[in-house]
Amino acid sequence: MSALRDKYAIVGTGKSRLGQVGANSLALLEEAIKNALDEAGLTNKDVDGVVVRGPDDVYSHHQLVAARLGVDASFSTSLDNGGASQILSIILAVMAIEAGLATTVVCGYGRDSWSRTHAKGGAGIAQNDLIPAAQRPKEHGPEFGHFGAVSQHAFGARRHMFEYGTTRDDFAAVAMAFREHALRNPEAVMKKPMTREDYYKARLIVDPFGMFDCSLNSDGAGAVVVTSAERARSLKQKPVLIKGFATHNNTKGWIEEDHMLSTGAVDSGERAFKMAGLGPKDVDTTQIYDCFTYMVLTQLEDYGFCKKGEGGEFVRSGALRMEGSLPTNTSGGQLSEAHVEGMLQIVEGARQLQGVYGVGRQVPDAEIALISGHGGNQVCHSTLILGRA
Amino acid sequence: MSEYNKPIPVPSQESQPYWDGLRERKLMMPRCDDCNSYWFPPSLLCPRCNSSKWTWTKTSGRGRIYSYVVYHRVYHPAFAQEVPYAVAVVELDEGPRMYSNVIGVPPDALSCDMKVEVAYEPITDAITLPKFRPVAA
Ligand SMILES: [Zn+2]
Repeated sequence: MSALRDKYAIVGTGKSRLGQVGANSLALLEEAIKNALDEAGLTNKDVDGVVVRGPDDVYSHHQLVAARLGVDASFSTSLDNGGASQILSIILAVMAIEAGLATTVVCGYGRDSWSRTHAKGGAGIAQNDLIPAAQRPKEHGPEFGHFGAVSQHAFGARRHMFEYGTTRDDFAAVAMAFREHALRNPEAVMKKPMTREDYYKARLIVDPFGMFDCSLNSDGAGAVVVTSAERARSLKQKPVLIKGFATHNNTKGWIEEDHMLSTGAVDSGERAFKMAGLGPKDVDTTQIYDCFTYMVLTQLEDYGFCKKGEGGEFVRSGALRMEGSLPTNTSGGQLSEAHVEGMLQIVEGARQLQGVYGVGRQVPDAEIALISGHGGNQVCHSTLILGRA
Repeated sequence: MSEYNKPIPVPSQESQPYWDGLRERKLMMPRCDDCNSYWFPPSLLCPRCNSSKWTWTKTSGRGRIYSYVVYHRVYHPAFAQEVPYAVAVVELDEGPRMYSNVIGVPPDALSCDMKVEVAYEPITDAITLPKFRPVAA
């Protein structure tokens, strides 16, 4: 795999408007892709590949996306690995280009979660109600009042607290660090500072998670353009090199073995680092899939930024803050910028390496970024390591 | 007795013997004839060795709380009167893990690794739920 190191690049990144936009997921994605192509100095005429997240819903279905772009794609498909799909889309783009199936691939994802959960303008509907009835479990869960992703991750948080002495103070440190970052990011949805008191005052959702342990319901989209590093040299932007990637899916199940304590990031990270010829000490910034605060802490352990069980201490040390030893989710992440299932983390990682931000928002001298994706009933994982060209 | 509004399990062909067992107050799981491992939820092959030779076997009904959470948010209207309520991942002594509720104690009395045993709760003529209660120390 290291033969592919630095051979492909991200040459454009784009976001849509974020937050309470009111547009549908396809329109949001179209907006993000347009921005990514503009940044790359490319048009739809240059695009021959489309890889997006789907098709569990209309979300980003590749045929609909390509139709809107006016592209007959030599390679296009939709992925089904939940929040691990967005990095996987870049991996697949690289594989497709390497195999000669495409030359310039658009990867992206859009979702209209805010609009859907606030469609009736009332108190909002539960995220669980967004899952089509036919896809909801019929037994072994709902009869006990067990619904959805919040509690699945909360099981992991509870067991981690039990085994390693992790506390909600540690989760608060994650939430507060990302909120600080959001305040420096004008695009971020969350605009108010968060104190420890604010964190504890927020209502409990599924204990041990309160409201600020949970990511946002956002409308939004992100997109990137992938092509060869060779081609990138003649394009408008300074490219961001794809140095390493891997996936690992704990497909036996989230509640099986030690999976809720030790995620697919262990294997995925080890192989991505190997491909990149790098280790945790080489990483200047991480963009970690933060569907819930706990998931940041445990993935940082799994990637080897600290030892298993020491994530609480690590995040409490301030490491994740912009001024810390490992600035993480520097846009505010899914907890405080917007939740587009990891797509915005890829955009943020790439932009930090392009060095486009000003003082306070930019990680100084960022050369290497590690980005993670997690999802698909909590078992799918993907890792992307990017480098400054 | 007031009307039962909570979700009622819909057995599949694969899980029907499990629900039949519960109606007779037996917690049955598939057990592999070749490698002796138990698993849940039921499926065609032993997930450990992929043998198709296996037998529905009565478990001890005893285990421990691997993890648990306490729902404060109402995700289904039938649970509106129940919050805060606990949902646990119970690990049976035989190995399989399953979602359930732990009854007879308030949520704040629960802990990981607490020993529990099955408690049968009939909800319809066809369906009895496997809940758990702490084992007296
Ligand atoms: Zn077997």
